[in-house]
Amino acid sequence: MNFEVLEHTADIGFRAWGATFDALLANASCALVAIAVELEEVEPRQPYPITARGEDRESLLVNWLNEVLYYLDGRQIALSRFDIRQRGEWEASGVGWGEPRSLAHHAKLIVKGVTYHQLRIAQEHGRWCCEVYLDI
Amino acid sequence: MQLERIDQWRARIPRDAGRGMRTEVIAYASERLLEQIRKDLSLEQAMNVATLPGIVGPSLTMPDIHQGYGFPIGGVAATDYQHGVVSPGGVGFDINCGVRLLNTTLTERDVRPRLKELVDQVFRDIPCGTGGKGPFDITAKQLEEALVKGASWMVQQGYGEPRDAEFSEAGGCLPEADADEVSARAKERGRPQLGTIGSGNHFLEIQYVESIHHPEAARAMGLEQGRVVVLLHCGSRGLGHQVCTDFLAEMGAAMKRHNISVPDRQLACVPVQSREGQSYLKAMRAAANFAWANRQGILHLLRASFARLFGKEARIRMLYDVCHNIAKREIHVVDGVKREVLVHRKGATRAFPPNHPEIPQEYRRIGQPVLVPGSMGTASWILVGAEAAMGETFGSVCHGAGRLMSRTAARKGRNAREVQDSLAGRGIIVRSETRDGILEEIPEAYKDVDEVIEVVEGAGLARKVARLRPMGVIKG
Repeated sequence: MNFEVLEHTADIGFRAWGATFDALLANASCALVAIAVELEEVEPRQPYPITARGEDRESLLVNWLNEVLYYLDGRQIALSRFDIRQRGEWEASGVGWGEPRSLAHHAKLIVKGVTYHQLRIAQEHGRWCCEVYLDI
Repeated sequence: MQLERIDQWRARIPRDAGRGMRTEVIAYASERLLEQIRKDLSLEQAMNVATLPGIVGPSLTMPDIHQGYGFPIGGVAATDYQHGVVSPGGVGFDINCGVRLLNTTLTERDVRPRLKELVDQVFRDIPCGTGGKGPFDITAKQLEEALVKGASWMVQQGYGEPRDAEFSEAGGCLPEADADEVSARAKERGRPQLGTIGSGNHFLEIQYVESIHHPEAARAMGLEQGRVVVLLHCGSRGLGHQVCTDFLAEMGAAMKRHNISVPDRQLACVPVQSREGQSYLKAMRAAANFAWANRQGILHLLRASFARLFGKEARIRMLYDVCHNIAKREIHVVDGVKREVLVHRKGATRAFPPNHPEIPQEYRRIGQPVLVPGSMGTASWILVGAEAAMGETFGSVCHGAGRLMSRTAARKGRNAREVQDSLAGRGIIVRSETRDGILEEIPEAYKDVDEVIEVVEGAGLARKVARLRPMGVIKG
């Protein structure tokens, strides 16, 4: 497992890891989707493009996750695999693989937004780690 | 943290200039509640709020306060409308999350024998949980109208009575809303969700009046012991969430342009009068209007559910509707001077005292109804705003019981069936799309709502009118 769920009085968070920052983006995306639906039930059938920009590493991560959340709650598409194909200093583009949402995904809850609350990105023991809290 | 008790109901954290605080924090809480509050970061968050440029008066916390993002949930902060800032985090993702209370012509005795049938009917008729799709199929153009007109747009479409909108805070519509400031994404996310409850702590409860504490106010609201009422808690759904997300994404760069720094990035803010500030406020007001349209849609569906079971003579009458996540442009007297301020109420309810011109005529001499939902198995309260709220808290009080336990902790070692059975043993029928929905909202996860209410009444911010007991719960 490349992520774990964190407790918060009213909401929920996750900690994710990755050997590279690109892998961190991908694993954090999986964590976000896994909090909303059963990630294992989402078939990576089709590619959906994702592009995000930020003014630093933190905002790049939040904006990327906002794109994944927009697919989930706006376009009603659940993504379960992520390939980051190009990355500049504070921008990234790639694809998320997934499928339109269905009952088979066993929706768990609605994520309202990705917050900057206690957001942490760090390199620890030779790998990247982040902590992100979601409003639910 | 230096925390001084002022009296039985109030405590103070003095201004600490070293932390960048521009004002003090006043916390409304009993000693016991304060002990619980100090276990999380909520008071630190209130101290961070005290650093906001242009904050007027203290950074305030209500007795149901708990840790949020940037702002604590249960926090109130007023900023100068001309020279202060607006913080989208001070409103939150669920713009105009609020509570609507409906009176009925039925008594507990009428409903109890058919309670299961009624709960099942409502659960079938009103979309809730993660499903997300509502029954109101509106066009993009109609959505834009709803964003500007709020609850009354739904009434004009035939989904309600004029009284429904009139008996809402601000008449169910904030002026100066602009649908063009709401992104295409926000509209796409919200449009199919009109008339849906959502998930998390949102719910619809069938309740009855257990006790009356202010007979005159209860009479004015048409309440008596044993009367069945319906309490609805929900907000602006994906539309509001996306508006908050869109503007938070812009705030970082905008803050640099305006030379503002804050101790927590989720507190991001810009001057009220800046282009970004005005743009956010127009979009926020549109999202608030969408929330009122949403609650109006749900009321329309509820009337049909009741009519199906109890016939046309069972009337559902709007009692009042309040928002508890909002920034409102209001006039308040501060240190003897009238000031135009932007009151951020993040998990706090407006509570205007008797004779305020914004209260509907029927309630004007008793004060504005304040609706405070408790946890699933306990009680909810109807209050009316009182004088001290106007003098001390920019006309604001608490919004609920306040969470005590994380969702994960609430689920641990508990079984949804057992919780459901134990509530049923107490005469409360619960329906939820998910098992986790029931477990996460167990009564033990919340503070004691009665204790929260004691503080707001003791401090003179509001007066108790009636205590409501749940009978049927539809969990989002």
